Amino acid sequence: MAMSKLRRREALWFYLFVSPWVIGFLVFLLGPMISSIYLSLTDWDSFTPPKWVGLQNYVKLLTDDPVFWKALGNTFHYAAISVPLGLLVGLWLANLLNKQVRGRKVFRTLIYLPTLVPLVAAAMVFRVVLAPSGPFNDVLGLVGISGPQWLLDPSWVKYALILLSVWGAGSATVLLLAAMKGIPRELYEAAEVDGAGPVRQFWSITVPHLTPVIFFNLVMGLIAAFQVFSQVYILTPKASQPGTYNASQTMVPYLFDQAFSYYHMGYASAISWLLFAVILVFTLLAFRTTRRWVFYETEVK
Amino acid sequence: MATLVSAAAPQQEGEQRPGGEGRTSEAPRVLRVFRATPFTYATLIIVSAILSTPLVFVVSIALASDHTVAANSFTIFPSEFHWENFTRVFGTDLPMGRFLLNSLIISVGSVIGQMVSSGLVGYAFARLRAPGKNALFLIVIATMMIPAQITMIPQFILFKDLGWVNTYLPLIVPNFFSNAFNVFLVRQFVSRLPNQLDEAAMVDGLGFFGIYRRIMLPMLWPVLIAIGIFTLTYNWGDFMGPLIYLNDESKMPLALGVQYITTTGVAGQPPPWNLVMVGSILLTLPMIAVYYLGQRYLYEMDISGGSAGVK
Repeated sequence: MAMSKLRRREALWFYLFVSPWVIGFLVFLLGPMISSIYLSLTDWDSFTPPKWVGLQNYVKLLTDDPVFWKALGNTFHYAAISVPLGLLVGLWLANLLNKQVRGRKVFRTLIYLPTLVPLVAAAMVFRVVLAPSGPFNDVLGLVGISGPQWLLDPSWVKYALILLSVWGAGSATVLLLAAMKGIPRELYEAAEVDGAGPVRQFWSITVPHLTPVIFFNLVMGLIAAFQVFSQVYILTPKASQPGTYNASQTMVPYLFDQAFSYYHMGYASAISWLLFAVILVFTLLAFRTTRRWVFYETEVK
Repeated sequence: MATLVSAAAPQQEGEQRPGGEGRTSEAPRVLRVFRATPFTYATLIIVSAILSTPLVFVVSIALASDHTVAANSFTIFPSEFHWENFTRVFGTDLPMGRFLLNSLIISVGSVIGQMVSSGLVGYAFARLRAPGKNALFLIVIATMMIPAQITMIPQFILFKDLGWVNTYLPLIVPNFFSNAFNVFLVRQFVSRLPNQLDEAAMVDGLGFFGIYRRIMLPMLWPVLIAIGIFTLTYNWGDFMGPLIYLNDESKMPLALGVQYITTTGVAGQPPPWNLVMVGSILLTLPMIAVYYLGQRYLYEMDISGGSAGVK
């Protein structure tokens, strides 16, 4: 391919300009990925040379590691509740804020504010809010419910994490609210003329128009939820309390512990690839099923 | 990415009022769907109150005395006002000042790295022509699907071999190599700019770097500031990175330091919750400030709602 001198110079500059990304890609991504595949096939404590074990790490994880399955189950449990719940609450609040409400700015700010709190600070807050005699249980006590030990009782920790995640429903709220503003008013006018009530209009006009936004946030939310780490690390009982530890474990904290507490680098690498597989399967599944329930305006036009 | 999209959305307010306000001539009536009932207000007030309670509680604890902490007798609304807690964390009690400084060093370093590198790379993908460019861009997009956990362990080994463990470098340096999402943002932004300007500059004999520096860079500020905000938010709140790489208390950023001080201290004693909450407030306030100062730029980026990305 003969290129003019100018074109060749342009190409040269292109490669020069993109070189930061290319170097970063090779050094921090591709290299580590290949190395991670290799490590996942070894037994390695990071001090002595790695020992080749073939697929043993994967076999052990999938057939002989109840903690891994527990962590996987917990992660699913957490993602399957927290993400749809956050979106539902967001949808509900956005629909309220989309009405002609006086002081909407104040409400919106109060609902959005929690999402600006960094995760570590939010986790600290929930450590005290969900303490056995903390305000949350106090409120439950007012209505006659004796609240559980949210952060110590392994069967409740997941719900503590879900509560923390729903506290951030404000981000879904503002997002869906913005999308609601884009729905043509004429549709509601026509529906009203036809005698459809507000509830009917919500389900037949508002929700179908929002499905692309809901879908996008569902997928992104699930991917993020599968990788939940900081909250779990900070809020759940540590290994020093045997018994409870495994009950509230999720995938990334388990991976982290295997790598940086026990120096099972090979085993941890295998976990990371299984996590990737889970994320990939869910993303593909979500995209495969979109046609069935996501409404794109462009399809009609 | 979810946070980013959400960060862009709120200021959509006021563009198009529901219920036909401002269209007084043709549709003065508020449609039934948009009519707020007492039930609407009751729900909004209750929900806002519930969501705000944890924040009020934090302030209450931050202002509590050590005695209250030891007795674990906090009140939801502040009942005592020990403002000195806010100065105590900078004194001998806790190295909070050091934590803050570390957060600042890591965040500012990362922001500079991302702004410098993403601008260059994104511009090149948008404007310059070269064989293999499209294939390379596909790889850029594909890398967005790789979760960070895959590369976490080999990266740790790499930085350990470089002797960078327990320094800020593993947290800052990778940012100087841009990342896929930021590159994508800049590329989209540049694609929407008219190219008469750089063509004219080319005719005037300005080289490609000259065009970037003199023509492009001044126009790129909105997207670079948006990238700066995302990078700052991420690195300021990042917990896992510092947890992996930093062991010395004197090197820890605030996000890690706040958690660290709950794990130290006398066994059997509760952590100094009042000071921990002061730390949490110090961790949160800059994020609120950055959000309110920066939302203008996020808006200009027009990454609203996420629906555009799906369609």
